[in-house]
Amino acid sequence: MKRTFDRALKTVLSYAVLGLCAAVMLGPVILMLVGSLKPDEVVLKETSSIVGLFTGKFSFENYKDVFVRVDFGRFMLNSLFITTATVALGLVINSMAGYSFARSSWRGRDSVFALVLALMILPFEAIAVPLFYEAVLINWRNSYQVQIVPFIANAFSIYLFYSYFLSIPRELEEAAEMDGAGPWRTFWTIVTPNAKPAFAAVAVIMALMIWGSYLWPLMVTTEETYRPLPVAIAEFYTLPPINWGDILAFGVMMVAPVMIAFLLFQSWFVRGLASTGLK
Amino acid sequence: MDLRRAESARRLRTSTALCLIYLVALAGCGGGSRPPEIADRTLVTVWMHSGQEPERNTIVDQVNRFNESQDEVEVSLTVIPEGSYNAQVQAAALSNDLPDLLDFDGPFLYNYVWQGHLLPIDDLLPEEIRNDLLPSILKQGSYRGNRYSIGTFDSGLCLYANQSLLAEVGARIPQTIDDAWTVEEFDSLLEALAKKDQDHAVLDLKVNYTGEWYCYAFSPVVQSAGGDLIERNTYQKAKGSLDSPEAIEAMKHIQAWFQKGYVDPNLDDRSFIDGRVALSWSGHWDYNRYHENIGDDLVLIPLPDFGEGSKTGMGSWNWSITAKAQHPEAAMKFLEFLLEPDEVLAMANANGAVPATRTAIAMSEKYKNDGPLDLFVRQLEKSAVPRPATPAYPVITTVFERAFQQIRHGADVQETLSDAAREIDQDISDNQGYRNLR
Amino acid sequence: MRKNSIIAVFMALPALTGLTLFVAVPFLIAVFLSFTNLRLGSPLPTEWVGHQQFVRILSDESVLRAILNNVVFAVSVVPIQTALALGLALLANQRLRGVTLFRTAFFMPVVFPMSLVAVVWSLIYAPGVDGALNGLLHQMTLGAWAAKDFLHDPALALPAIILMSIWQGVGLQMLILLAGIQSIPDHLYEAASIDGATAWKQFWHVTLPQLRNTLITTVFITTILAFRLFDQIYILTQGGPNNATTTIMFEAVTSTFRRQQVARGAAITVVFFLMVLGITMVQRRLSQEVVDA
Repeated sequence: MKRTFDRALKTVLSYAVLGLCAAVMLGPVILMLVGSLKPDEVVLKETSSIVGLFTGKFSFENYKDVFVRVDFGRFMLNSLFITTATVALGLVINSMAGYSFARSSWRGRDSVFALVLALMILPFEAIAVPLFYEAVLINWRNSYQVQIVPFIANAFSIYLFYSYFLSIPRELEEAAEMDGAGPWRTFWTIVTPNAKPAFAAVAVIMALMIWGSYLWPLMVTTEETYRPLPVAIAEFYTLPPINWGDILAFGVMMVAPVMIAFLLFQSWFVRGLASTGLK
Repeated sequence: MDLRRAESARRLRTSTALCLIYLVALAGCGGGSRPPEIADRTLVTVWMHSGQEPERNTIVDQVNRFNESQDEVEVSLTVIPEGSYNAQVQAAALSNDLPDLLDFDGPFLYNYVWQGHLLPIDDLLPEEIRNDLLPSILKQGSYRGNRYSIGTFDSGLCLYANQSLLAEVGARIPQTIDDAWTVEEFDSLLEALAKKDQDHAVLDLKVNYTGEWYCYAFSPVVQSAGGDLIERNTYQKAKGSLDSPEAIEAMKHIQAWFQKGYVDPNLDDRSFIDGRVALSWSGHWDYNRYHENIGDDLVLIPLPDFGEGSKTGMGSWNWSITAKAQHPEAAMKFLEFLLEPDEVLAMANANGAVPATRTAIAMSEKYKNDGPLDLFVRQLEKSAVPRPATPAYPVITTVFERAFQQIRHGADVQETLSDAAREIDQDISDNQGYRNLR
Repeated sequence: MRKNSIIAVFMALPALTGLTLFVAVPFLIAVFLSFTNLRLGSPLPTEWVGHQQFVRILSDESVLRAILNNVVFAVSVVPIQTALALGLALLANQRLRGVTLFRTAFFMPVVFPMSLVAVVWSLIYAPGVDGALNGLLHQMTLGAWAAKDFLHDPALALPAIILMSIWQGVGLQMLILLAGIQSIPDHLYEAASIDGATAWKQFWHVTLPQLRNTLITTVFITTILAFRLFDQIYILTQGGPNNATTTIMFEAVTSTFRRQQVARGAAITVVFFLMVLGITMVQRRLSQEVVDA
């Protein structure tokens, strides 16, 4: 009897703690969602109490407002295009490089790989300034390529792929080798289909990083045509008149696709993370 | 088993490629609102800063009407965010990417001229227009012997006040610039207002703004106290001006307002229109919004006198033709259009600024004699002081803004201003005194 | 064999070219620039000035404070976020109905770009009783809490940024640790409980040792990320109040863009890299990890 009571108490406590943590993590999210539905003048006041949050008028007025005031569709398109292109191209070339380091032997491979690892520590900010200067000199400012090309090759991705490929049993590849396949064919026909979790994990990590990229687009884009969402919302945040309802609506629309994508694909991502060399 | 895996891998690659192509197509189709090129039309590229919404809407409308009204010149407008505007101009100049015509905030003229980006327009500007322009506009646009820029409006800066709230504490309302409150009077007024106010915040200084605002709005105070940002004989030293006892006094006053809690954070920019504060230190761009919300209770008051008379800011966004422009006369045509009285008024009505031409002022309901915004015109004639006319200005304004923020948060005023002066002087010496290189 | 080697090299070539052109070379340029006085858009010729930039920035109060702030930020965020991530991972590892929902909730903030996080939290940190956090604390303490202007209080600004950054980052670290925990073989726990170990002892003697490599990796990554602090500072506090929240990257970017001193910005990022390199080496030595080369 005591055992079942203990267990029940533990279960209730567990749920309580889980609930509390979830409330803290989701609190700001809910604030953003609910606040975006309120009229601008009261957002500041009504988001400061739980009662205020859930009472009062609600409407989609702010969402309409955003589209009237700025070219939101354009920003979304820019972010989608830039993220997809960078991640897709990155998956291709970084996985190839990771495989090359993991499986093949060629002269200088080890030293080059050590250099790649060293570059992993080099954060983007350390090269932002000269990269900016370069972009200015070759007149790549205000374009898509300036936001894509410098970020396709990524040392961290190479490392993740490398450690994953190391952990795949060699039998399949050896079978292909005996059939006369070179590394190229082996890679595309045998290795990649078996490495889906690694691709998923790298894709998600890279996508999150590029989707949220703020500093670089801030430095290199001035025109709205090429501006991605993170810069757009920071601009919108200071664009007079300051309507908090609109700002929150902008935020909701900006994060909704990523949230939905994550909700749909979480099990893939979790499985991918579990199998990468991060352990 | 392997065949199927290879199959799905290939399918994944194909669908990814298709998606990319689709997105590129979308981007290509969706992007750019460039109007179709009609043969023989001269294309003029124009940059305008992204200011208040009515301003933006007006300029877009003006561009459209200009393009439709004649056949020789086609204007293509790009709106650039205000925040990093100066840096963007510099970067564009570096990559030879500047437009034919661009606007910029007045005091940046000197730096752009020093770098050689701008074309003198003395020969291009028609005489009738030149005679109609306000002296302040002409002065703002001239440097080292040449005329480089024209503004379609000048600025106004004052204390907006809610009359009924002032009446509750029995404050007197200054009627002329000479009649302005002394800073001591102003301090006691703030105290009286704060006593009646729930959160003691009774003054809106637009601290939610970033950038140029601080130098524009508060360096006149330094000058009103008898100090200055930099000595204006040779523009070589900030030391002795920015950290003079007078400047320190002035900034100490402002610091006290923050320390005593009189200043509203203004996060939603509604402290004045919601009645949370009785006074708002702001410029012409707020007039329309304030008038709409406060109505007849709205009264415009000159800034407090810190010792040498009430001083206020002047200068605003103005237009220049760039040195690399292919067809300066075409660009000038657009400028002339913007300077037509109706167009000047359209912009001035949208942003509440002072129209640049006397004709337009006379036609303006708000700005004509005894109109509600008459104070701004009189200030431009009497008490407005320009920001320093030196290529060092971009550094001066950044340094002053930083100093203001530090002072506002309680830093030692003398030390802060001293450091600021040193930084400015360092920049001037690094640039060899910004001497004329051409 | 020869042909295969050549193919392998070609496979690595695109990535290596990209890394060289866009990472290695710019860094070398940065190092070079830091010895000059290059300015953005100045008609004056650029000159070699030796170590003048470095002398200036290392005697500049703002830069020194920035370095201090970055260190404080890293030293606060890394242990707190890791501990929280571990705790949340353990919570999410329980066999309860609907635990996946909670795991999703914990991860939600990670999908928010930092600039959006900054905007939303500026509302939460709003001063006066109207601010969400002020209001919440006011209600929880039954009126005893005096409203504070978090982002403008020299003592509270950096902690506010720290809190916000942990909120955004803990979810990802949690997922990685969770994956690590879930891969610990059950039989280790069974053996421990047969030996009579309590839940706490099991955690200490089974979970932690098994997680050691994962923990080391996530700590390493979190530290590096902690030094890149920029977005939220630029949007929320602009380095204030009084340099309380300025960071190395903020100083570098404002030097380049606001004061147009490209060389100075480059010098600051070189100092930055050296710091990160130093910390990395220290961390590696401390963790005694063997790198597969």
